Amino acid sequence: MEVKDMQLESQTTSAESPSGLRILWRELVRDKLALVSLIFLIVITVFVFGISLILDQDEIVKVDLFAINEPPSEEFWLGTDYGGRDVFGQLIIGTRNSLSIGFMVTLFSGIIGVVFGLVSGYFGGHIDNVMMRILDFFMVLPFIMIVIVFVSLVPSYNTFTFSLIMTAFLWMGIARLIRSKALQEKELDYAKASRTLGSSHISIIFKQVLPNIVSLIIVTMTLNLASNIGLESGLSFLGFGLPEDTPSLGTLLSYATNPQTLEHRWWIWMPAAVLILVLMLCVRNVGEALRRATDARQRRG
Amino acid sequence: MALLEVRDLKVHYPIRGGILNRVIGHVKAVDGVSFEIEEGKTYGLVGESGSGKSTTGKAIIGLEPVTAGKIFFNGKDITSMKSKTKDIRRNIQMIFQDPYSSLNPRKRVLDIIAEPLRNFENLTKKEEKMRVYELLELVGMSPESIWKYPHQFSGGQRQRIGVARAVALKPKLIIADEPVSALDVSVQAQVLNFMRDIQKELGLTYLFISHDLGVVKHMCDEIAIMYRGRYVEQGTRDDIFENPQHIYTKRLLAAIPDINPRNRDEQFAFRQEVQKEYEEAYDEYFDEEGLAYSLKNISDTHRVALPEKG
Amino acid sequence: MITFPQIVLLSILIFIMAQFMPGDALTGQVDPNVPPEIKAEIRERLGLNKPWYEQYADWVGGALQGDFGQSFRFKMPVSELIGQRIVNTFWLSLATLILTYLIGIPLGIISGRYNDTWLDQAITGYTYLGFATPLFIFALVMLWVFGYQLGWFPTSGSVAPGMSPGSWDYVLSKLQHLLLPSLSMALIGTVGTVQYLRSEIVDTKQRDFIITARAKGASESRVYNRHIFRNSVLPIAAFIGWEITGLISGTIFIEKIFGYPGMGALFLESILMRDYSVVTALVLLFGIAAILGALLSDIILSIVDPRIRIK
Repeated sequence: MEVKDMQLESQTTSAESPSGLRILWRELVRDKLALVSLIFLIVITVFVFGISLILDQDEIVKVDLFAINEPPSEEFWLGTDYGGRDVFGQLIIGTRNSLSIGFMVTLFSGIIGVVFGLVSGYFGGHIDNVMMRILDFFMVLPFIMIVIVFVSLVPSYNTFTFSLIMTAFLWMGIARLIRSKALQEKELDYAKASRTLGSSHISIIFKQVLPNIVSLIIVTMTLNLASNIGLESGLSFLGFGLPEDTPSLGTLLSYATNPQTLEHRWWIWMPAAVLILVLMLCVRNVGEALRRATDARQRRG
Repeated sequence: MALLEVRDLKVHYPIRGGILNRVIGHVKAVDGVSFEIEEGKTYGLVGESGSGKSTTGKAIIGLEPVTAGKIFFNGKDITSMKSKTKDIRRNIQMIFQDPYSSLNPRKRVLDIIAEPLRNFENLTKKEEKMRVYELLELVGMSPESIWKYPHQFSGGQRQRIGVARAVALKPKLIIADEPVSALDVSVQAQVLNFMRDIQKELGLTYLFISHDLGVVKHMCDEIAIMYRGRYVEQGTRDDIFENPQHIYTKRLLAAIPDINPRNRDEQFAFRQEVQKEYEEAYDEYFDEEGLAYSLKNISDTHRVALPEKG
Repeated sequence: MITFPQIVLLSILIFIMAQFMPGDALTGQVDPNVPPEIKAEIRERLGLNKPWYEQYADWVGGALQGDFGQSFRFKMPVSELIGQRIVNTFWLSLATLILTYLIGIPLGIISGRYNDTWLDQAITGYTYLGFATPLFIFALVMLWVFGYQLGWFPTSGSVAPGMSPGSWDYVLSKLQHLLLPSLSMALIGTVGTVQYLRSEIVDTKQRDFIITARAKGASESRVYNRHIFRNSVLPIAAFIGWEITGLISGTIFIEKIFGYPGMGALFLESILMRDYSVVTALVLLFGIAAILGALLSDIILSIVDPRIRIK
């Protein structure tokens, strides 16, 4: 009975917690544009992942020489490409693949970046110096070129390994941000108090400091998601994303490098272009709204 | 044997500069400080900001690196980080100055107070909660506080939580770094009295760091005055308050506000006089760098930084 | 000074990547029908059997003298091949940089000076969209609209065929081919500059020394020309070095979309044709360009802003 009461109590009072997430959520819902964007994103994601369960990917990417470059019709809503493949089906599967890679790259680079930044910032001194030199080096690498070389060298890869290749060169931005925040946090008394209370460095970094930068991480990762979707479709556009039997939104756009397609068959590439734009804008809207919410909270103290 | 003994403690920070970022000098935050604290007593460390009093406390607990000197706890050398065994670390705890930044804003009171328990004791969730309840009761806070977050409390209440956390492991020594200077004056006395009650109840030893001589007089058995990293004067409470020898101590004492308005003019004149004496005698009491001399014994308990005579 | 070790590290990274590339310097040069014994002999002579560190030293030594090996596709030295293409990419980058600042600085100043007017809102809307739009999509749409639908600009190449170099028509044709690609890149690339300038100016406007200058009776244009300009606009001169990193990835997309024969297009062709000696040379050159660009920015910044010193 007593235990039950306490749990009840915990639920009622935790509504006032400054845990950030709740407040972020409240601010997000209050921002109409961001809310619409979020709903739109959820609808697209559910729709795309739902439909692609029914759609047969092998069927869609199979070359059909009797239906090459057909204009939109009842059978092919958005026509067919130069291999007679249904564009609409590719659009659905492409969106799913682009979103999956975007999510994975964001997640992986987020994890690496947060851990790297926290360790570098928390320990400071020589460790920080060495780690920042490593980061600086990765920062100036010509990202697109190196990924392209990697992709052309790796004999076979799938969505997962492709995400890993991208992640290897995309963790630096968030790492740098988290590091500067960790530098500030570790100087606060609560981190010092934890030292005197016998907590280990690892425990202070992940149990004490990390919860204080969660909202920053969420904001940054949301904004990163937008740019990662763009990067992935860019690489696929150049022909160095996923192989052609795993279409992405960029694959559809790459058909537009054929002048005939660009000029006369807009239905192949335009929907993908619009969809990428809309996706990136929506994710950005959500991210910017979250950022405004955290900024406002910091101002209020 | 004293509970804590500090011998010639030095904390120096390098100043870097120039093109190659070389060490071009040192800031001597603490420059040769020695003292002993007997078990169950309160030892006051007084000085203006930048005098090195907080650094001394932080060096003892291991938050600042020790450049030279020795620290003994119960006769054991605990100068280096490595020598601070688990047993020693749980016996030395700290109360921080700012109750707003010393409690993690993302943690509930339960997690804050239980942090040391989780590090040193293997308790079940239930036992842990019971201990936190006991501690909250000890510092005079209601049991439902356990589910709240620090921002839901006032400064004085937060400092009580800080004290509960510091005493959770039943330590022998508590380093209290300006524990009330961030609080409203009305709350200060309340927290100080309760710190004294807890001291009696748990048999604590305090190293009490403060810039406020009034507070120190209220709390401390022995007092040391620090100035620019060095001791200026050290003695019992009576030695310092009734028989101050160093001009710097006298000036600090003169600056204690007097509540009685009838003495205002008298006080003002007295302060002027001390200030004049301070300015005139400054060269006599400090060396050419403006630092205090080494301590000379005046009595068994009373030591003052005076120049070699003749 | 981190630049030199960075370049060394970059060269090592590229050397390691090159080891994983199929074929070696021999592949492009020797007839496949040559008997294996003779091949082995040539390998020995070319130093391909040496330990890796000696091969690395040879490679770096060659690169320092401008020798990047042979392109097997074009059967010519890589350095010569790059020499042909680098001019085009140079003009493209230069045009982009000029346009970037030509668009970015006025827009940023207007947006910052008249903040929260409809003009500022329009500019902010543009930067918001510009940030969310991938360069390659924007460029495709630009090509579609202005190249194909309206037919205002050529859709491919760096100069119309049949022009003789040096003539006025030749230069005009070059410019015409440059304009659409560089404008596409600049319009997307400049949004960072606009946003930076806007927030800098809005910030500076509220600083004490500006309020003081106003209070002393300085005219509004004097306040902007003397004080705000010096504090906000000069630092973006430092961005020029960092822009290089953006230009590198930009040219790869832009040259592919506009069929512009520069280094970015060469890179993509060489990867597809597995002409790896060209690939390694290009990655090294672009990488060094980015590193030197970052150094340049640091130096400019330390001159413009005395608070920042080079480490």
